[in-house]
Order: sequence, then C-alpha cells, then structure tokens
Amino acid sequence: MIKNLLHRFALRDKLLALIVPLLVLTLWQSVLSLHLFSELILIPPLTLVSTFIELASSGDLTNNILASLQRVITGFLVGGSLGFILGVVTGLSPFMNRVLKPLIKALQQVPEFAWMPLIILLFGIDELAKVVFVAIGAFYPMLFNTYQGVSGVPKKYQELAWVFDYRRFSYLTKVVIPSALPSIITGIRLSLGLSWMFVVGAELFGADAGLGYMMTWGRQLFQIDIVMVGLIVIGAIGLVMNSLLLIIEKRLLSWRIAFDGRTL
Amino acid sequence: MSVEKGTLEIKNLSKSFKVDNNLLPILNNINIKFPAGAFISIIGGSGCGKTTLLRIMLGLDTNYEGEALMDGERIEGPGSNRGIVFQDHRLLPWLTVEENVAFGLDKLNRKAKKLVVDEHIKLVGLSGFESAYPSQLSGGMAQRVAIARALANKPEILLLDEPLGSLDALTRIHMQKELERLWLLEKITMVMVTHDVDEAIYLSDKVVIMSSRPGVIKKIIDVPSSRPRDRASSEFMQIKAEILKEFHLGTEYPFAYAI
Repeated sequence: MIKNLLHRFALRDKLLALIVPLLVLTLWQSVLSLHLFSELILIPPLTLVSTFIELASSGDLTNNILASLQRVITGFLVGGSLGFILGVVTGLSPFMNRVLKPLIKALQQVPEFAWMPLIILLFGIDELAKVVFVAIGAFYPMLFNTYQGVSGVPKKYQELAWVFDYRRFSYLTKVVIPSALPSIITGIRLSLGLSWMFVVGAELFGADAGLGYMMTWGRQLFQIDIVMVGLIVIGAIGLVMNSLLLIIEKRLLSWRIAFDGRTL
Repeated sequence: MSVEKGTLEIKNLSKSFKVDNNLLPILNNINIKFPAGAFISIIGGSGCGKTTLLRIMLGLDTNYEGEALMDGERIEGPGSNRGIVFQDHRLLPWLTVEENVAFGLDKLNRKAKKLVVDEHIKLVGLSGFESAYPSQLSGGMAQRVAIARALANKPEILLLDEPLGSLDALTRIHMQKELERLWLLEKITMVMVTHDVDEAIYLSDKVVIMSSRPGVIKKIIDVPSSRPRDRASSEFMQIKAEILKEFHLGTEYPFAYAI
C-alpha cells in the first residue's frame, strides 16, 4: 500500500520533470511558426527527429557512439584506476600524502585542455592521444574523492580494527573501502561525467569517428541538425550512465537506511 | 611466576598528558589486581581517568609509567585475550549482524566461523536477526551484537567501557541481567567502567572508586551479597550509601540523599 503510494509519487516526479522540456519544445515550435529566423539556424524539432532517424538507420550514429564510448571507457578505466590507487595510497599514508600532494596540487592548476598540445606532441593525434586526454579528465575527481573517503575513515573504526588485530589487507577490504564507498562512488560518477566531456573535446581536435567528430563534421557542412543530434545524444548517454550508477550506488549502499526505514 | 589465565594486574601505574609544555597528571600510582573470573566495576566522575585506564588495559595506550600485566606479561598492544565493548556499540554499519560478530574471526575457516557466530548470536538472544544491518537494530540489540562480537573472540577478560550508558533506564536494567547471565556462563573476568552506582553494585564483586585530577583509586568496596541481587534490599542500600559517601566528600557542592 505504502509502496504503491511511493511509486505513484515517483511517477508524478518523473512527469513533473518532463514539463520544462515540453515547454521548451512548444516555445521552439511557436517561434518557428512566426518565421523569425531562417530554418537553417533554428531547426524545426521534426527535422531533428528525421536527421536522427537517418543517422541511426545508416549506422553512422551507432558507429560514432561506439567509437566515443570505447574511448570513454578505456580512458576512464586508466585514469580512474590510477586516481583510485593514488587516492587510497595518499589517504592511508600521511607520509605519501605529504610527498605527493604538492605535485598533484600543482598539476591540478593546469587547465585540462592545456595538456592537449603536449599530448599531441607526445602521442600524436591517434587513439592513444584521445584516451590519454580522457584519462587525465577522469583522474582528478577519482583521486580527490577516493582520498577524501579513505582518509576520512572514522577513528573509532580504525581503533576497532586495531583491537581486533587486523592485517593491512583485511583492514582495507572490510573497513576502509566500505567506509569510503559513498565518496568513491561520487568519484566514479564525476569521473565518468568528465570522461564524456573530454572525449568530445578530444574528438574536436581531429578524429575520424566519434560523436565529437560527427559534430565537427556537421559544423563544417553547416548542418546544425547533425550538431544538435550530437548534443542530444551526448546528453542522453550521460543521463543514462548517471542513472545506472545511481542504481548501483543504491544497491551497494543498502546498509544506509534512514530513520523511517527507507533507503537513502 | 605463573598466574591464572584472565588475571590483569596494574602496578604503580602513572600517566600524564603534555599540555602546553606542562605535564597534566591523569593517573597517579594506580595499584589494582583483577583476579581471574571476577566482575569488577570502576566508577568515578568524569575526568578521573577511568577510560584511560581501560585503554591501557586494552593495549591502545602504552605510553605510561609502571606496569600493566595480563596473565603476568606486560601489555604491549591489543591482543585477542582481551575483548572490549565500547559505549557506542561501534558496529560497522555496512556489515550485517552476522558479519559484525564474525569481525574478529578472520583467521578461522568458513565453517568454524559460522559455528562460532551462530553460537554467539544465540547466546545474546538475537537469533533471527543474523542478516539485519545495525541501523535496523535498537540500541539494546546493537549493544548485544557488540557483546557477542567481543565474546566470539574467546577473550580471557572482557573490558566494558560504559557499555549500557546510552540505553534507556528499562533496557538498561534488562541488559544488566543479561551481562550477569553472560558472565556466569562464560566464567571470564569482566571489568566495567560505569557512572551508575546501582549498576556497579548489582553486577560487581568489587567496586573500585576513583577520584579526579589526578585519577587515583580512592577506595575499593567489596560487594559480598549473593546473586541475583535485590536492588531494594537493605544490604544493597547500605553499599550504595557507602559509595555515595565517597563522592560526597569529593565534591564542593554536597548533594543530599535519603536512605
């Protein structure tokens, strides 16, 4: 009964979330019917749909999505793992933190896009360069959030592990990682989000496939519809990834139960 | 020199903290023996160093003068022969009741672990709650799990740091009975730090009274009555009066009580 009610509320929330996009669409369509702008600049929504169908049915869209997705996943895995490991190391050992922190902080001041010229010089403009660029984007949020989680293990749990004579490895798996998990998952979410931003950035610098490439190509041909389909697809994939991670997060953190018995 | 297992002895122990280059004495020349199998309570006002004393016995604090001996050997750090129940239950919120009780049993294989865990969950009366998370338990239940976790390690001595301090009055009385039952059953030494005079008298063979700044042992009072004890008996009241008198002398603002 209560569960049903909650479901209905959840459904209502979802419907509410649709109101603004629908309003924008209506506004868009009505401005179009006033013929204020050329249809080349302000594309009718229906044109977007047909461009989308065209791109999707030719297989172009799928290929471009897969190309970008592959770079995102590889870059995220490389940069994210590195960030995770360094986060655990600096979080556990104050000594390592003192040694590594100044360098990390200094490098963090460099805007990520400023790495691009160096990356191109070192790795060319092939796949590797793009993956490296994505990895740099994925690295920092993972590092900082893991560090925060690992270094923030409450002292009372550290003491407990000490009293129960825990060895390093079990301490890590049973106390540190679970305690840091909420932070780590936030790190993963931010890191994946940035990976998407960076892959599009990397593909703007030159590529022969990928969503960023598709949009550059659309820009060069002055086909705003292609550019906009790219934008929408990127947004949609980002949204899907984020919600998938939220579901995983809820599963993993099911022990965090609120006062009224609902999971947080 | 051989000692019966479960004996903890403190000899000429003093400890001070350094505060702004001044040494602030916390414990001063503490001498006390916790004989094997006894239930002993330590009571005293806040700041009397009773928690520090417990931490030393546990092995979390080894920076002191004098000696702290477990079974005749100097305490160098935490060890599985000493168990602890903290005031806050300190269960790991991401582990179930079962996993929390198994927390100290990493070295056992799966089967042996399961056996010990089941036995101790049953011991504290929580069968059926094996897969519950700490956030789903009441304060009293959580503290039972903490006790089961400490006992599962088969300690020779159980240290209890105000274990019932955060429970409501009724649950508290109920848990005192439970502690007594477990103590009679397990036949191990128990040392409990508490604020509650009734609780100390109800459970202990001896009540150690400490006074503050620096922490010294003021008096050790024997509780000779048979168990289970009647909180309303005149003997109980007499011992209570004797203990309260000790505190009365130590305070600037005397409080009144009636027998």
